[in-house]
Amino acid sequence: MKRLIKTNINGKVMELAVNPGQTLADLLRYELGLTGTKKGCEMGECGSCTVLMDGRPVNSCLVLAVRVDGRSITTIEGVEADSGLHPIQKAFVEHGAIQCGFCSPGMILSAKSLLEGNPSPDQVEIRTAISGNLCRCTGYQKIVEAIASVAHKGVKNE
Amino acid sequence: MLLPKFEYHDPGKLTEACRLMAELGQGARLLAGGTDLLVNMKKSLVRPQHVVSLGRIPELASLKKEGRRIRIGSCVNIADIAREPVISERLTALSEGALSLGSPLIRNLATIGGNIVTARPAADMPPPLIAYGAKIKLQKKGKSRTIPLDAFFTGPGSTVLEHGELLSEIMIEMPSSLSGASYIKLGVRKALEISLASAAAFIRLDSPEGRIKDARIALGSVAPTPLRSRSAEEVLLGECPSPALFTKASEEAARDARPIDDFRGSAEYRRDMVKVLTRRALDKALKRAIENQEK
Repeated sequence: MKRLIKTNINGKVMELAVNPGQTLADLLRYELGLTGTKKGCEMGECGSCTVLMDGRPVNSCLVLAVRVDGRSITTIEGVEADSGLHPIQKAFVEHGAIQCGFCSPGMILSAKSLLEGNPSPDQVEIRTAISGNLCRCTGYQKIVEAIASVAHKGVKNE
Repeated sequence: MLLPKFEYHDPGKLTEACRLMAELGQGARLLAGGTDLLVNMKKSLVRPQHVVSLGRIPELASLKKEGRRIRIGSCVNIADIAREPVISERLTALSEGALSLGSPLIRNLATIGGNIVTARPAADMPPPLIAYGAKIKLQKKGKSRTIPLDAFFTGPGSTVLEHGELLSEIMIEMPSSLSGASYIKLGVRKALEISLASAAAFIRLDSPEGRIKDARIALGSVAPTPLRSRSAEEVLLGECPSPALFTKASEEAARDARPIDDFRGSAEYRRDMVKVLTRRALDKALKRAIENQEK
């Protein structure tokens, strides 16, 4: 039996009827067309389905859609402002931190959550923050540089 | 990857959750963080007809300090354990365990109770909790009991939990002054790792230069359950800390370990690592015990 939930997705309050067996990742992609949230391993290991739930990054493949009732979700589609790309997105472009792009939404959301809580992270903090997001093009170095460039005081030495 | 069909329940009260678990029978599973259950359901390792979510029960999500005791609801997530100042300052080994579990994404979902009841030998929360002498509260319809955590596990994935019983709370007595603890995990990488071996040590001294009054050593990944090394504790009790004593205790811990060979590492290597990790955990625990004089 479907259940009614009320949730804020990218700043928009929505009432949705969801199946108990539906994951948040599937709800976003198949019901709402927000395909920026990728599905990779679907086991919580790759991080390509990362979204922010009440500001914190989570694997949306491991969250039942019914459990986002009353919560707010930010996907990669909600990061860009009317004025254009978010500074983290711009930095990813400028630093060549995007290759195939499959990990990028998750990387950017993990980075956003890090920088909101800690505006000047060091190398270790940046690497820890993205440790649940796998990049198989092996662009980690450029991703770390991109995130560091957005940090307020640049990056402290290791 | 689709989840098998199930009926979803999300009680708002603990008593209601207990009643549901009693009524629904064997086909029901509890859902806390979902990082274990949903993966196992996707892999069709478990096919529950009913899933009872604990996510709407406020008392299970609370963490409070009452006098010298800290009470952690079983659904408090691992990230909150790691960021709670009382825990990072006074129960440092527990925050070390929390920070070594999964990834930041997993830590925002996974719960302390889930990490305990799944009873994986490599779980990161049990060794530090056992080292602190944690107790757990188990509740079912019309009955509740409190047991020491080290009496909870019976084998990989199996515990003393009775049918319909759930873990509601973890209780830890705040360590007194002159006590210190540490948890060290060995893996081949730093995130999303199942440990090869891990060790937690807790010691309390009777005076700054004095003897060891209390000692608990708990090991992970080297037995069918998280393992308390009583022989190592016996070596330590009543003695003055010294490098030789710590070496002897870690050798005892290695003897107590019952590791297996698997693709992560050989039993022999794991046993050797228990010795190294226990020794390092003891050194750190002692350092913290001495620093913890004034508090």
